[in-house]
Amino acid sequence: MEVVVDDKDLKAAGAQPLPDGRRGLRIHGWEIESHKGTILKSSTFQEWEEKLDTTHLPEMVFGESGLVLKHVKTGTKIHFNAFDALGGWKKEGLPPVEVPAAAQWKFRSKPFQQVILDYDYTFTTPYDGSETIEMDTEKDGNGKILDSSSSLQWEDCEEKIDMVSLASKEPILFFDEVVLYEDELADSGVSLLTVKVRVMPSCWFLLLRFWLRVDGVLMRLRDTRMHCALMTVQAQSFFERAAGEKPHFKHYLQKGILLILLHTVILASLVRGFLLSCTGPKSLKSLVICSVVN
Amino acid sequence: MSDLDRQIEQLKKCEPLKESEVKALCLKAMEILVEESNVQRVDAPVTICGDIHGQFYDMKELFKVGGDCPKTNYLFLGDFVDRGFYSVETFLLLLALKVRYPDRITLIRGNHESRQITQVYGFYDECLRKYGSVNVWRYCTDIFDYLSLSALIENKIFSVHGGLSPAISTLDQIRTIDRKQEVPHDGAMCDLLWSDPEDIVDGWGLSPRGAGFLFGGSVVTSFNHSNNIDYICRAHQLVMEGYKWMFNSQIVTVWSAPNYCYRCGNVAAILELDENLNKQFRVFDAAPQESRGTPAKKPAPDYFL
Repeated sequence: MEVVVDDKDLKAAGAQPLPDGRRGLRIHGWEIESHKGTILKSSTFQEWEEKLDTTHLPEMVFGESGLVLKHVKTGTKIHFNAFDALGGWKKEGLPPVEVPAAAQWKFRSKPFQQVILDYDYTFTTPYDGSETIEMDTEKDGNGKILDSSSSLQWEDCEEKIDMVSLASKEPILFFDEVVLYEDELADSGVSLLTVKVRVMPSCWFLLLRFWLRVDGVLMRLRDTRMHCALMTVQAQSFFERAAGEKPHFKHYLQKGILLILLHTVILASLVRGFLLSCTGPKSLKSLVICSVVN
Repeated sequence: MSDLDRQIEQLKKCEPLKESEVKALCLKAMEILVEESNVQRVDAPVTICGDIHGQFYDMKELFKVGGDCPKTNYLFLGDFVDRGFYSVETFLLLLALKVRYPDRITLIRGNHESRQITQVYGFYDECLRKYGSVNVWRYCTDIFDYLSLSALIENKIFSVHGGLSPAISTLDQIRTIDRKQEVPHDGAMCDLLWSDPEDIVDGWGLSPRGAGFLFGGSVVTSFNHSNNIDYICRAHQLVMEGYKWMFNSQIVTVWSAPNYCYRCGNVAAILELDENLNKQFRVFDAAPQESRGTPAKKPAPDYFL
């Protein structure tokens, strides 16, 4: 999913591609990089099962793939990876969704000694990204990471992601789409977690999407959008979550950055593949980090 | 050169046949397949292949590694179609080889060789796109109903696409199934094409989807013992390393679609058995991009919102 980017556009925007064939770029104090690897090997797969305390993982886990957005000066790092997303799945622990054939199966004679597995095989996750404040080893001077445990403090706010400005066709300096995990639900549908990013001269924007289709039963969509303005005095980022309440926003001020996050959830019923009803996003809970870009 | 040989040469270049040729080929294939048993006897030496899923150029790699048919005797464990870009060419080439060399290639049915599944996962759409009508899909899915359900190599190795069924304890019970139908949603025929071995159950397990059996080690031990077989060879599940033994080498999964869906980065494998049933797994990678005919398209910048 690579896009050929005009060098002139990069230069005009004050951006440099990452060296050594890495995928990504540096722009206005941000380092934005994507990684793409293969699915987990059997041995790593087992290690993950142990670490996550589970006996089941999606059949395609792209454990080395991810997206990292780091604001170098403040050490603010936002990243997306399969491991943390699966941690979220394990914690949420939704009940399984029955496929249409299950109705018939209830009448089948049960074999002696039958165990019914009841984990959430759809791998639905509430994951909306991972974050750390990470001070560079250079800044510390003695080769230690000072603080990589603190997370960004998001607060309610009134701002929203400016979708109108995002619709303008300014040049895309970097674009990538990364699959974090995928499962075919044993040919009963699809479960897919992806993150895609586009970086323009004025902002970067990303969409983390959990997409689920259980054939003949339901669709589920959980989106997280993040937006960060690069050229203006204020940069913004949004987080919205549909939870059946009225919208409210949060913001947080942090030197050098302003991010806005948006999280939406859509659940729809499917019968014979057709959309029957669609609920949400009913309400939005969002978080904003505001600050002055130096 | 006969019409059939010419068609095989054409398919080897990944060029689909005319609709009328497909119809005639399917009629000939039907005459051969209808004679086969639900537990088709296969002689060694033989090379066993797992899922292909329309990855035509990767199947050509498979033939490079395993040797051409008829020189090599092949057993394909189903899932020829869906997901990849070339289900039509992949299935027609295998079917043409079957008609040309019926004793040197055995094709058994996978869960994707079904009208319902192919309408969701790609084969139906591909037929419509390449022929402008669904006639070829109809001819092919009619042939799917005639494919055998399993194979028995030298009476010692039982081969099936998915796995075992609680309704089946002997091979004779498989032989009595009336297979000439769409894959049902339940019952023995469904289980053979759909079920999976599972580490965390010992006996039988039911999938959290509410349909689909999982079977544990003791089920395999007892099946192998009562049918006097050495091990079961099946496909159906993606394995990063191309093959995977389970339950103390009583069952092996073979997966033959490298870089599955053109993005997983997995290797594929085939299992070669010599005349004494000695095993050798041959592991192979996906075909290099330049041998795929068309270069990978660079996608346009995506102004997603």
